[in-house]
Amino acid sequence: MSAFRLAVVIICLGMTQAPALASGNAEAGKAKATQVCGACHGPDGNKPSAPDQPVLAGQYYDYLVRALSDYKSGKRKNAIMNPMASQLSAQDIQDVATWFSSQSATSLHNQR
Amino acid sequence: MTRPLIVAALILAAPGAALAQQPAADGAKKAADVRMCIGCHGIPGYHTAFPEVYHVPKIAGQQPGYIVSALKQYKSGARWHPSMRGIAASLSDEDMAALAAYYGEPAK
Repeated sequence: MSAFRLAVVIICLGMTQAPALASGNAEAGKAKATQVCGACHGPDGNKPSAPDQPVLAGQYYDYLVRALSDYKSGKRKNAIMNPMASQLSAQDIQDVATWFSSQSATSLHNQR
Repeated sequence: MTRPLIVAALILAAPGAALAQQPAADGAKKAADVRMCIGCHGIPGYHTAFPEVYHVPKIAGQQPGYIVSALKQYKSGARWHPSMRGIAASLSDEDMAALAAYYGEPAK
């Protein structure tokens, strides 16, 4: 097997590790998001309460899972988000990421 | 034969440089230099390749304050991603404000 083919195989294997498609339960995610995330990000993730808080509605599912998992593990640090994410199970993270990523009312766009 | 090819390549590359001179959003003091951003964030659905594979986040239409905060954390090392660390390290506060204003513009 050539080095190139081996590299292609490795890259393809890597892509299977993080499912890009939402695999959580949106309704469970909505309930959890309303309870835990809504006060700052808005229940649908499109109404941040402060300028330095991100819009989550319409963001990619796998990026949201990555961000929440890193906040939960402490790899990514934020005084507010670390305790918030530590309350969430791995299933909760998939659920809220499914909920936020499926929201179409968002300021996020792909024109830039 | 090689020289005309090189010249042709340079001519073809020129619009890429022109692209970087996008007008800044109103109120920004400096024009946003997006050359380092568009390769990943300018391609809808693009994925990171290292160290983990996931969608590069959407930043167009994001809150400018959050964009600045993220860039500062990447620059300081508080937030970690190899390519973002390298890029943010080269940005001044002014550059970050210009990029945040540019990407914070709503959809037309």
